[in-house]
Amino acid sequence: MPRFLKKSFKAALPIMVGYIALGLPCGILSDAAGMSVLQVALLSVILYSGSGQYMIASLWLSGLNPLSIVAAVVMVNLRQLLYASSLLKYLKRSPRLAAIIAASNVTDESFGINIARFQQGGWTTRLSFAVNCWSHLSWILANIVGALIGSLVTIDSSIAAFAITAIFTCLLLMQKGRGDYVLAAIAAAVVVCVCNLTGLSNLAIIIGAVAGIIVGSLARSRFESESDASRAGDA
Amino acid sequence: MLWADFWIILALTALCTFLSRVLPVALFANRELPVSVMRSLEYIPVAAFAALVANDLITPDPFSAGLIPAVLPFIALIPVIVVALKTKSLALCIVVGVAAFALLQWVATLTI
Repeated sequence: MPRFLKKSFKAALPIMVGYIALGLPCGILSDAAGMSVLQVALLSVILYSGSGQYMIASLWLSGLNPLSIVAAVVMVNLRQLLYASSLLKYLKRSPRLAAIIAASNVTDESFGINIARFQQGGWTTRLSFAVNCWSHLSWILANIVGALIGSLVTIDSSIAAFAITAIFTCLLLMQKGRGDYVLAAIAAAVVVCVCNLTGLSNLAIIIGAVAGIIVGSLARSRFESESDASRAGDA
Repeated sequence: MLWADFWIILALTALCTFLSRVLPVALFANRELPVSVMRSLEYIPVAAFAALVANDLITPDPFSAGLIPAVLPFIALIPVIVVALKTKSLALCIVVGVAAFALLQWVATLTI
């Protein structure tokens, strides 16, 4: 196996474990919503969105019309704009088409792993795309298996969902601890909670994240000058 | 699900999600962004992860299943935070988090 495949597989492994745990119940739920195995496979390959696919199945079960389902999923997935913007700095080192392909199957989790690796250095567009593909592959397989075993089992997806929460928590705590970053995180979390409790849950993540970005940017000058001053003091 | 309904849902959600994923890269891959914009983009990871964690912890109807399911993730997150700060290992965080969550859920069923 080429080295970049091995290296990316190692990086993608935590996501793959999480996606198998979360993809199985997603396939089972999709089967319960009346989707065929082929439909589940098509969604997993072409849409490839965990939250999106959970929403499609559960909203369809609740009897919502297709266009309203589309609107809900599109709103939830708008947060992808932020991931692409954040990865831009690293992906633009590659030719434009390669950058677009590497951005085409980013998820919350693979964004998290890739941005952490890019920040550490020594990470490439090709490695990041390979991480996306390993994750994508595990998601497709888990969904198909879930749809196949569908009616035979019922499983509690709350435990699998918590595996993903643990991934996001770890990625959050790996970020810089400087004051402006902490304020950005607090602002984002508070705004998400407010959105979720006031009926804006479809847009909670993107509104919360944008609030965090604004607060962080506004607070930056203060904390940056502080650290600059302490550096100057050291010198 | 009827194929007609399915195609509407798949085609529209997939197209919009694809555009959300690639548009910023497609538009700005060959351009330099102003320094102020580039600086703001640095807050995306921290803001997004905080938003995602908060979104998992505070659902739209947190007490729909009672007090314990609402509080349980917060308690299960404590060992995850400790492990994350000490090891920065995603795999360990998953194992510890899932174990703590499953254990707490099991204890909760015993006490009710």
